[in-house]
Amino acid sequence: MTQPVEEVYSLVLDADQLEQCTSMQQDEFGVLESIYPEFVSSRNLDGDALKLEIPVQFGTTKSVLISEPPPPSNTGIASLPEKKQTLQSISLTTLPPILINITLPRSYPLQKPPVITSIRATHIWLSEVEVLQSTLIELWQTAEPVLFNWIEYIRTGDFLEKLNLVSPGNSDIIALPHPAPRLIAPLLLEYDSSAQSSQFAQNSYPCSVCLTSLKGSKCLQLKCKHIFCRTCLEDFWKMCIAEGDISRVGCPDPECVKKANEAGEEEVARVVTEAELQRWKWLREKRNVERDPTVVHCPVAVCQAPVPKPIDADKETPGWSRLRTCPRCGYSFCAFCRRTWHGPLDKCPIAQYEHLALEYLGAEEGSPERAKLERRFGKANIIRLVATYEEEKANMQWLSSSTMQCPGCQCHVEKNMGCNHMTCWKCSQHFCYRCGERLNPDQPYAHFSNPKHGCFNQLFDVIDVPEAEWELEE
Amino acid sequence: MDARLRRVNKEISDCKNDKTSQIKIELFDESPFHLKGSFPGPEGTPYEGGLFEVDIVIPDSYPFQPVKMKFITKVYHPNVSSASGAICLDILKDAWSPVLTLKSTLISLQSLLCSPEPNDPQDAEVAKHYMTSKSSFEETATYWTQIYAGGPGPKEKKGKGVGGKGVQDEVAIAGLERAHVDRFETLGFERSKVIDALRRLNYRGPNIAQITDDRVVEELLK
Repeated sequence: MTQPVEEVYSLVLDADQLEQCTSMQQDEFGVLESIYPEFVSSRNLDGDALKLEIPVQFGTTKSVLISEPPPPSNTGIASLPEKKQTLQSISLTTLPPILINITLPRSYPLQKPPVITSIRATHIWLSEVEVLQSTLIELWQTAEPVLFNWIEYIRTGDFLEKLNLVSPGNSDIIALPHPAPRLIAPLLLEYDSSAQSSQFAQNSYPCSVCLTSLKGSKCLQLKCKHIFCRTCLEDFWKMCIAEGDISRVGCPDPECVKKANEAGEEEVARVVTEAELQRWKWLREKRNVERDPTVVHCPVAVCQAPVPKPIDADKETPGWSRLRTCPRCGYSFCAFCRRTWHGPLDKCPIAQYEHLALEYLGAEEGSPERAKLERRFGKANIIRLVATYEEEKANMQWLSSSTMQCPGCQCHVEKNMGCNHMTCWKCSQHFCYRCGERLNPDQPYAHFSNPKHGCFNQLFDVIDVPEAEWELEE
Repeated sequence: MDARLRRVNKEISDCKNDKTSQIKIELFDESPFHLKGSFPGPEGTPYEGGLFEVDIVIPDSYPFQPVKMKFITKVYHPNVSSASGAICLDILKDAWSPVLTLKSTLISLQSLLCSPEPNDPQDAEVAKHYMTSKSSFEETATYWTQIYAGGPGPKEKKGKGVGGKGVQDEVAIAGLERAHVDRFETLGFERSKVIDALRRLNYRGPNIAQITDDRVVEELLK
């Protein structure tokens, strides 16, 4: 119906106006090509056909919900149990380009809008292209060039609102109907990540270390979002790795330095050489081992490899939980006394673990030092060890204060009554209970009657004296 | 041209172009790696009105290692050694970041003058002074600013305090060592003149800042 009318109008345009149209078209094309060179492919030989390839660039991350469109309700199968809807939710900052083929009528823009010969979305992520097409045509106003507006309208994603794809409450949520959400989601994600990296490579970023501006392809964005040039990061990290100062291998930003943000393996691998990466990993492992309180070092002098606590050590019986086996040399030893594994039943000799007990007792309750030991050996174990130590110590004290060792068999003897001349019940050795000296079995009392000797007149201890005094008083 | 030289040159020219920060960086000689920085003492502190000069040495691995800075101008401050000008500031040590520049570091020094950290002192004597009597500390700091950094001197309480403490005290207050003053006094110069000359020369013994005895005598004969 309208066609003949337009034809009539087109006849009205005179040669001057047509020429004006041609020059306006050329100007517009020139503008587009300089602003969005990657969106416009050059005109064909005839000069009136144009191909636009416009990606959607949100500028922020949007969450895109892809769901199957609801089945038409008025069909015969409506009564069937409703098919479970598949829903995919992904975060995107871009969507693949909308491809538009256009021919420009000779009387565009003065009299006619551009003619859209075809419109489709890459990967067919958008099915309602017809609606978009009519919307684009509506944007045209007589005598106004419209292509730039079209590009902006699509690039910014504004058209999604017109297509009712933006969640009414939250503009950061886009609901995208698609017959196969599972198929389209990975395609959209792949496009998004490649678009981001190519965009990053094209932009320029100022590196605040060398104070120059460089193309993104020469820069690296760290996980804290700070961007530095690769050369600076390489120089910095190489130096730190060479000096063994791996805590500085991280973002050079002052805030990140204060927070001690260290770089991840992925980042380090992208910046330094393979040999440096290996050294960095080795240094990091070494440091982590040094920090890890559960690790003990292999007592074999030539090995000294870190030996981690077995995962189920805490669940083992107390005896077995002391067992450690060096992963490097295979030496099995006791974590407490560091001697060759002496089985789950034998106790560690007190001298071997005394330092541990003293270390534990020396630290305050709840202190990090105690926590460290508790993690290394298990809390119950260390408490048991300390209890054993304290008991042993008490025993030792009692032994040294209340008993005398037989000089013959080293057996401890406690005297409960009688004189200081002792005869060992085990080896029959005669000895003085006061000084531990061996006594002549034939003349054992000579020891106590020699005035030059310290035990002179001490056959009986002072304890007996009060009784004697009491007797005297009586 | 290596990266270090390129960056230092850029920093020097950036600082020249920036008229608002009042921070200056100059060359000592031809080397761009030994520089002299200066900044005005912060307002509202005993250092107000003084101009403080800083000796800057750029290490080989700059900017990945911190720049070395010490005060040329004598400063009476808990975190600055009154004898050597050494500075105790975290960003000059383990909190250094390659993103920090000579200018931003000098600005940090400026703010260090505003907010002393007496609990982490470089000069224990000064820190003790600061902790025990802040007003007396500020008097000395103002006096030092006046005689070493060209400050205006004490504001309202003129003639009070520092002046009346006698020559002996003046040696200490001026931060000079008695031995240095005595040495030149024995050469036959008047004590007050010696103090004056050494103060003018910012004298800290013959090894620091390379001031020879001849130079001192020359100054005394003026």
